[in-house]
Amino acid sequence: MTSTRIACFYVPMFPLAARLRSEPELLSEAVAVVEGNGNAAHVVAATRRARTKGIKPGLSLAQARSILPKLIARGRDTECERTAQEALIEVAESFSPRVEDAGEGVVYIDIAGMTRHYDSELDLAKAAMRAADEVGLPARVGIAASKLAARVAAELPKSPTVVDPGSESEFLAPLPLARLTPQLDAASMLARWGLSSIGELARLPEAEVAARLGEAGRELHYAARGIDPRPLIPRPLPPDFREGMELEWPLVALEPFLYIANSALERLSKRMELQGFACKRLELTMNLDPDGFAARAIELPAPTRDVKTMLTLLRLDLEKAPPGAPVTGFSLVAHPDRPRRAQLSLFGPAALSPEKLATTIARLVALLGEDRVGMALTVDGHLPERYGIGEFAPPPPPDRRLKPEKSRGLLAMRVFRPPMPVEVLMHGEQITAVKGEGDVCGSVRSASGPWRVESDWWTEAPAARDYWDVELDGGNVYRLYQSETKEWLVDARYD
Amino acid sequence: MEPVEPGSALAQVRATLEASVAAKVRSGAELLRRAANNTERPELIPTTLEAFDALLGGGLERGKLVELVSRRATGRYSIAMSALASATSIGEAAALVDLGDGFDPRLAETNGVDLRRLLWVRPRSVKEAVMSAEMLVATGFQLVVIDLGLHPVKGRRAPDAAWVRLARSAETSRTAMLVSSPYPVTGTASEAVIKGSSGRPKWRRGLLMGLEMTLTLEKHRHRKAGTRSTLALEVLP
Repeated sequence: MTSTRIACFYVPMFPLAARLRSEPELLSEAVAVVEGNGNAAHVVAATRRARTKGIKPGLSLAQARSILPKLIARGRDTECERTAQEALIEVAESFSPRVEDAGEGVVYIDIAGMTRHYDSELDLAKAAMRAADEVGLPARVGIAASKLAARVAAELPKSPTVVDPGSESEFLAPLPLARLTPQLDAASMLARWGLSSIGELARLPEAEVAARLGEAGRELHYAARGIDPRPLIPRPLPPDFREGMELEWPLVALEPFLYIANSALERLSKRMELQGFACKRLELTMNLDPDGFAARAIELPAPTRDVKTMLTLLRLDLEKAPPGAPVTGFSLVAHPDRPRRAQLSLFGPAALSPEKLATTIARLVALLGEDRVGMALTVDGHLPERYGIGEFAPPPPPDRRLKPEKSRGLLAMRVFRPPMPVEVLMHGEQITAVKGEGDVCGSVRSASGPWRVESDWWTEAPAARDYWDVELDGGNVYRLYQSETKEWLVDARYD
Repeated sequence: MEPVEPGSALAQVRATLEASVAAKVRSGAELLRRAANNTERPELIPTTLEAFDALLGGGLERGKLVELVSRRATGRYSIAMSALASATSIGEAAALVDLGDGFDPRLAETNGVDLRRLLWVRPRSVKEAVMSAEMLVATGFQLVVIDLGLHPVKGRRAPDAAWVRLARSAETSRTAMLVSSPYPVTGTASEAVIKGSSGRPKWRRGLLMGLEMTLTLEKHRHRKAGTRSTLALEVLP
C-alpha cells in the first residue's frame, strides 16, 4: 500500500507576491502592500528593499512613509490575490490531479506514487518550485506525510524541505511552538509552562494537556507529535481561467490598457499551457469610472494560446467599440478547449500543426477580418458570383505518397467582385465595343452569346441575365452580362 | 595495392579535364560534393501542365519562389489553379492569397482543387498579401500561391526586402511558392520567372473553345533562360 505523501506550496507574503506578479516592474523597488483606509492603513508585507530600510508588517502607512518617504504603497488587491491563488493551484494541478486549495498562497498536493516520475522527492519539490516561479510566484515547497508537517516544512526559509515518512515528530521537535500554527491562542499559557519548542509540548502527557487546555489542547498535542488526521480534500477542476486587476488610476487610453492586458494574457496563456488547454473564447469585463461596467466576448477561430493573437483581437474589438468611460479595473476570462491534435504520418505529406494553424488563422482574421479567411465553399444556385466561406479544418493527409491527379487543362476565370459596370456598343444584335475601367476597354474581335440565366424567380430579388463572352482587341476575353435592369456588367475574365 | 603519393590522384583527375576546368579543381572532396549535389533531385510539386512544368524541370520546387508574370490573359490563373489542384490532390495543405479576389470555388472544384485542403485568404493590399503569405509559410503550408490580380494591383508595391524575406522563409520551411502578377515584383528573390505572352483565344462556330499562350522562362538560377513552351487550355465544356 502506498503511504500518504503530501506536498505543500507556500508563498511567503502572499498579498505582496500576488501584487508583484501583476506588476513585475516593481520587483526591485521599495514596495509595501497596505490594508485598511486612512489612518487605519497598515503594512501587511514589504519587498526586501523596503524591509532593509526598516519597513515591517504592522507599521501604519504614515509611520512607514516617515521612515521611507519614497515608499511605493499598494492596497491589497483581491482580484490579484484570487488570480495568483488560481495560478498556484494550476501549477499544483500540473503535478497531480488531487489538489487542495488552502487559500492565502497555500496549496496541498497529494503526491503519493509520483516518485516513479522523479529521481527523488527532493527533485519533485525542486521541479514544483521552478513551475511556480514560471507563473511569477516565489513558492516554497515542503513534503511530508501529513498536511501539517508539510506546511511547517514549506514555511521554513530553506526550501525545499522533505520530511522522511515516519519522522514527522523528530522533524517538528526542535522547531519553536510558533511554527505549529500561526494563530496559537494558547501561546501565552504554554510560555508560562516554560515550553518553547514543539518537542517539549509533545513530551507532555496527552491527557494532562487536554485536561488543562480542552479539546484544542488535545489537537495541539497531536499536531506536536506530527499527527494530522485531516485528509486532503481535492477541489474540482475550474470551468474557466480568470486573470485581472484593479487599477490604481483610471485608464482612458487604449495603449496603456493593452500593456496591462498583455501581461494578464501572458499569465492566462501560461496557466492554460500547464493544464494542456487553449483558449476558445475570451471574455473581457471592464469596471468603469465612476460606476458600471462594459463586457464583451471574443470568439477565437480555433483554440489558441498565442498571446499576440489574443491581444490583437482584443485591440481590434476595443478600437471598434471603446468602453466609453475610464477603466478602473478589468478581468479576462478564458474559456478553455482542448487544442487540436494531429496524427503524424511516416510516409505521407506532413500534417499542419493544429496549434500553429489555429494561431495563424486567428492572426489572419485579426489582420484581414473574419469573412476574408477560411475554406471556400460552393453555394447552390446558378449565379457565378456566389460563394461561401467556412472554417478551415483540413482532413488529415493520406498515410502514403500519392501521385498528383493529371490536370484537365481547363481555362480558369477571375471573378470580378463586385461586377464592373461597363458601356456596351451594339450593332444590331452584336456587341461591337466595350468601355470600362483599365484593360476592360476596346473594340470586340469576337463574341458569343447571349445565354439566358434566370435565378431566384421565386424570391423578391429575381435575377434574369443575358451572358456574353467577348474578346477585346487587346486579346483578353471577358464574360459580361446584361442585367434585368438593362445594365451591362463584366463579372469575370478568362485567364 | 601500391601506395598513392599525396596529390598524385588529384593530378590524374586534373589531367582528364579541360585546362580551364582543371585549374578550378582544388581538391577531390570538392568534386565529390558537387557530384553528390548533382545527384540530389529537388522535391517538386508538379502543376501537371506539361508546358509549364517542362520550363521548371518538372514543377514547382519546394522551398523556392517562382514568379509568373503577364498583364494579358495568358492563363496565369489557370496555372495557379492547376498547381493548387495538384497539391491538394496528394493531400498537401495549400493556401491561395487572392489579392484580386477572383477565386470561384465552383470552378476551382471542377478544376480538381480539393477545397477542404485549401485556405483562401483575401487581402486588400500587396502589403497584407505578403504579410499573410509569411504567416502561412511559417505555419508549414506546402504550397502557397499569391495572386496579385489584374492591373492595376491594389495598394503600393511591397519593398524588395519583403520578397527576399518571404523567399528565405519559404526555403526554411520547404514551402513551394508561386507568385502570379501582372508585372515583375519579386526581383532577386525568385528562383525562376516565367513570362506569359501571346494569349490567343480559340473560337469555333462562334463559341469560345480555349486559350493558347506562349510561356517563356525569363530567369532561372539553374536552368538556361529563354526556353519557350506553348500551353493550351480549354473552356469547360
